[in-house]
Amino acid sequence: MLEKTLSRRTLLKGMTAGVGVMALAGCAAPVAPAAPQGQAAAPAAQALTLVLWSSFTGKNGEAETEVVRRFNESHSDIQIDYQFQGSYEETAQKVTAALQAGTAPDISLLSDVWWFKFYLNRALAPLDDLLEAEQVDLADYQDSLINEGVRQGVHYWIPFARSTPLFYYNKEKWAAAGLPDRGPKTWDEFMEWAPTLVEMEGSEMKTAAFSHPDGASYIAWLFQPVTWQWGGKYSDPDFTMHMTDELTVAAGQFYKDTVHTYKWARPTKDMGADFIGGLTAAAMMSTGSMGGIKANAQFEFGTAFLPEKDNFGCCTGGAGLAILARTPAEKQPAAMTYVAFASSPEIQSFWAQNTGYMPVRKSVLDLPEMQAYFEEFPQFKTAVEQLPLTQPQDSARVFVPNGDQIIGKGLERITVQSEEVATVFAEVQATLESEAQPVVEALRAIEG
Amino acid sequence: MTTSSPEVLRETTQELQRPAATSITWVGHRHGLVGRIAAYVGLVLCVLLIGLPVYWMITGAFKTPQEVYAIPPTWIPLQPTLANFPKAWNSAPFERYYLNSLIVTIFGSGFEVFFAVTSAYAFAFLRFPGKSFVFLLLLAALMVPAQVTILPNYLTVARFGWINTYQGIIIPGASVAYGAFLLRQYYRTLPREIMDAAHVDGASHLRILLSVVTPLSKPAIVSFALLSIVAKWNEFLWPLIVTNTKDMRVLPIGIYWLMVEEGTIDWGVVMAGTLFVVLPVLIVFLYAQRYIVDGIAAGAVKG
Repeated sequence: MLEKTLSRRTLLKGMTAGVGVMALAGCAAPVAPAAPQGQAAAPAAQALTLVLWSSFTGKNGEAETEVVRRFNESHSDIQIDYQFQGSYEETAQKVTAALQAGTAPDISLLSDVWWFKFYLNRALAPLDDLLEAEQVDLADYQDSLINEGVRQGVHYWIPFARSTPLFYYNKEKWAAAGLPDRGPKTWDEFMEWAPTLVEMEGSEMKTAAFSHPDGASYIAWLFQPVTWQWGGKYSDPDFTMHMTDELTVAAGQFYKDTVHTYKWARPTKDMGADFIGGLTAAAMMSTGSMGGIKANAQFEFGTAFLPEKDNFGCCTGGAGLAILARTPAEKQPAAMTYVAFASSPEIQSFWAQNTGYMPVRKSVLDLPEMQAYFEEFPQFKTAVEQLPLTQPQDSARVFVPNGDQIIGKGLERITVQSEEVATVFAEVQATLESEAQPVVEALRAIEG
Repeated sequence: MTTSSPEVLRETTQELQRPAATSITWVGHRHGLVGRIAAYVGLVLCVLLIGLPVYWMITGAFKTPQEVYAIPPTWIPLQPTLANFPKAWNSAPFERYYLNSLIVTIFGSGFEVFFAVTSAYAFAFLRFPGKSFVFLLLLAALMVPAQVTILPNYLTVARFGWINTYQGIIIPGASVAYGAFLLRQYYRTLPREIMDAAHVDGASHLRILLSVVTPLSKPAIVSFALLSIVAKWNEFLWPLIVTNTKDMRVLPIGIYWLMVEEGTIDWGVVMAGTLFVVLPVLIVFLYAQRYIVDGIAAGAVKG
């Protein structure tokens, strides 16, 4: 399994992934047992040092470094030693290895598709008593985000860096096509708009109206809401698969038709680059892409809720924080102090503004600095307004080992190779079912 | 020096045969021309294939973010900028990474070459019980994908308490079956008579290895050392896994830090960072290249 995920990792994330820690020296808490080098005034002798593993690089990594710095500065009795461990996948693999070697951290960032595997191995601490002791206001968390980390009424995974899909459009191309300055309300409306957005160069499509990513760029994540919009789904929470349901197949058929029948969409390797380069007039992309698009696009862009079909549908993604079960009991409250701090409204406001991740707390939206940010960056406001309408992803993608890639490869066969949707989805369903089997059994052992 | 006589001889024979050969060489010449054109086309293709990404990397390092994403892409930076270099350098402690990469590469490759040279000697020239079995074991080790060994290596290193240390990064890769295998094969092509002569002169094994085998095998050893240096210098996964803190990290992890998850990557900065990594290896290559060429030439004229 390690080998498999490694190669997948290197392939798909080599280019996109990342998380980091080492940028700023300012926060450096010492390694291992040495006394933390907090402020000079701190009663250092008493301070507990906790190790946090995380996966953010670049500006996101610098922002998280700053979060930790602020924590260490304001908590003289707890010092967080923040350690970058590679992408989401690499971090998860390291935690796996470190659990066996007895070198695991106290707190770890785990992505939406990883935390559950650690839960299955009973490696995560139940958080409810700790949350209560820390007086964390659970009702203030965005419901769809906090509920994703709950099993049998117990919290294991607290949202920290969460994103959602969002509809991005190029305002210049919209204007050139004479379209109103807004996203399409429904896919049917976009069907009418799309042909006017296509720009041809001879027989070649120069600008597509819409683009689909490949499996490595998480097409299964972006297609998840589309299944819901059509009334379908990948699976039920009990791992009953629904890939072959009529409505799921219909959603897949739509994706295929956009490329091969209507011919206004195309599959691409890098949607962000295509959008910035004007090769696609619109795309569904992560809210996390917004900062980069804002910095690099030479045109005005707009954001909108995802288009509807029979329903509205939108999922969430990203990563959250978990406390490892092996963290000594006397350290766990301190670990929760950090988790609560990192997901507090003040920090989430800072974090969202610097990274493009969604603020996970409802009350963030009322903070004056957030209001000011919305003024300055209305595209971000759209993303935040869509957040309460999101729902947790289907188990097939996030809880089945490699489920994301199984579905993603299937979708690639439809969009790129134009294969028969029903056939492909039937195969995907069979693979998902056999991969889910051990998970179902492990779950039965844990949850009864 | 010994080479001059056969060459003189060949020239002489050619001169003698010249009148008779003229009509044939015309055809041969034409073949040569076609062949030469084909060879040059192939050469140009190779250069493009290998050189284009490198060219793209170098020019990318001088482009603004907007220009990197511009479509159609520009072959020459229109607004060349140096801003990417300080940006990349300052976004991570690269000077520390250089130091760590140097330590890891010098010691890592040093050990690897040392063990390869010595164990290959044993496999090629020594007689000892169970030799073929040990060699089979070595071959088996060659077949094991590196990824498979990562977890057991991690657990072992953790048990030694070597997590987040230089020895933790270096020791598991200090001896690699590949080098021993490669050099053994090369050693076996060396003329046995020279070794025997050295033996007769009373040279010890160490003496033979240092004064006879190593000089004769220079091209193979240098080639292997280069491969080893590049591999250690570029290694990403193992150093990432076995270290935790930023002061123990190496250059490739620094590049990785410049990338962004779920966002838009500032490729100019990434390319600038990549240049930091590539340049030292390039210099080593340019320097070591002549040994390889020397060696090949030395071998070629021997017969």
